[in-house]
Amino acid sequence: MIKATTLISFALLITGGVYAQSADSLMKSMTDTVKARTINSTFKSTHIVLSHSTETEKKHDLDLRIRHHFGDIGGEFGSAHTLYGLDVATDLFIGLDYGITDKLTVSIGRSKHDELFNGYLKYKLLEQGGGKNGNIPLNVTVLGQMGWIARAPFTTTEFSSYANRFSYFLQPIFSRKFSQRLSLQIAPSILFRKNVVDVRDPENLFSIGFAGRFKLTKRLSFIADYTLINGLNRPTDLSQQFYNPLGVGLEIETGGHVFSLNFMNSEYISENSFIANTQKSWKHGGVRFGFTISRNFTLFKSKNKDIQTKIY
Amino acid sequence: MNNLKKTCKLLVFSITLFLSFSIQAQNYVGTNVKVNLFSSTPIEDIKAQSNKTNAVIISKTGEVAFQIPIKSFEFEKKLMQEHFNENYMESDKYPTASFKGAVEPNISWTKDGDYPVLAKGSLTVHGITKPRTISGNIKVQNGTISISTSFDVACVDHNIEIPMLVFTKIAKVINVKINGTLNLKN
Repeated sequence: MIKATTLISFALLITGGVYAQSADSLMKSMTDTVKARTINSTFKSTHIVLSHSTETEKKHDLDLRIRHHFGDIGGEFGSAHTLYGLDVATDLFIGLDYGITDKLTVSIGRSKHDELFNGYLKYKLLEQGGGKNGNIPLNVTVLGQMGWIARAPFTTTEFSSYANRFSYFLQPIFSRKFSQRLSLQIAPSILFRKNVVDVRDPENLFSIGFAGRFKLTKRLSFIADYTLINGLNRPTDLSQQFYNPLGVGLEIETGGHVFSLNFMNSEYISENSFIANTQKSWKHGGVRFGFTISRNFTLFKSKNKDIQTKIY
Repeated sequence: MNNLKKTCKLLVFSITLFLSFSIQAQNYVGTNVKVNLFSSTPIEDIKAQSNKTNAVIISKTGEVAFQIPIKSFEFEKKLMQEHFNENYMESDKYPTASFKGAVEPNISWTKDGDYPVLAKGSLTVHGITKPRTISGNIKVQNGTISISTSFDVACVDHNIEIPMLVFTKIAKVINVKINGTLNLKN
């Protein structure tokens, strides 16, 4: 009897102690079960300067994207006679990107160069900070982009087979947001094409893209990308000299719009064109100015009245 | 002698029993407390909502605590949500907003009724903590606690910058509403 009461008192004392929690420790015990969430945007937009980023469109968002590459700043085609290339448009692009889900984006676009029509599918496989324990270190996105050259052939033999008008670009993209300011990306890729001039120029062209973003302020970033192509499986001594595309730019976000002001040696905008055909170099005035305007529209809005926005 | 020992033990037992019951403060917790944000300007009204807020009440001391996961707020436009997280709240750096304080004076948490209260404590938003006294209402009914409050948060108080160069207009003072129920935690 005595032993029993002692035991019970002891037990009660312990339980009493357990219950005497502070708000802090109780809150901690509740929030410990919540794992880290995926990190905020690694890049602001689906593209960096020339290359794709790991970002996709948000579900039901439509992005109207207008891109422009001007002419050579210097050299034979530049200087004051063309107002440093501003008189010339080596390529123009208009495209629409649509988020079917937060992870899957479908797009259609058209470039001036080659009258190229583009379509791509982009899927976000992994997100940094995601997973069961929030320990996924990278963003991984896969991209498949098709190009169709719609222009008339330059020579009678150019598109002897209609299939020669098509090219396919496949690219897994890996990125990581290292800090609030710095995000880096690497993307190996392969371009399948038929429309090759030099017999020694491989139809299936390997490349590796490197890209990065450095945020200068919350809404202004320095962006850059470089694609290594020549010297991989493509000889560097072809009859036509090709260069690796390098683009640098300033990206300005204004809430709904993203503007970027860029300089690059690549004349063309779509991967299906610029990966294989960049013939200008940063040396000898081959660099040009370009810009991107991206405007986002939310097509289907939430029906939840508690979060509806009202514009007067 | 044996009798005395017995009485003594019984005394210890009853004291412990009494102590344990008095220490056994009743704690109330809620995990799906709703938080609404409202920003109003002559150009645009913006609303956001989260129902993932945790709330804790220690009835003995009148302590209250709220923890709001910033990334759980939903907006009508996903892009707006992204901007809220990335540009304004910097939720990678400051994942939660919180309030810690006490209801003054403490109320009788077991007696059904409506209690208008003041919660004195500190509000942490965007990593900046400010002392605040927030008025609200507590309703006790059958052991369930319902809380509701509405208060304003000035962006400037918490170093939340609103730049000039944005197309979306955001108010300098954001209204916050908190509503939810807490149940006895066993």
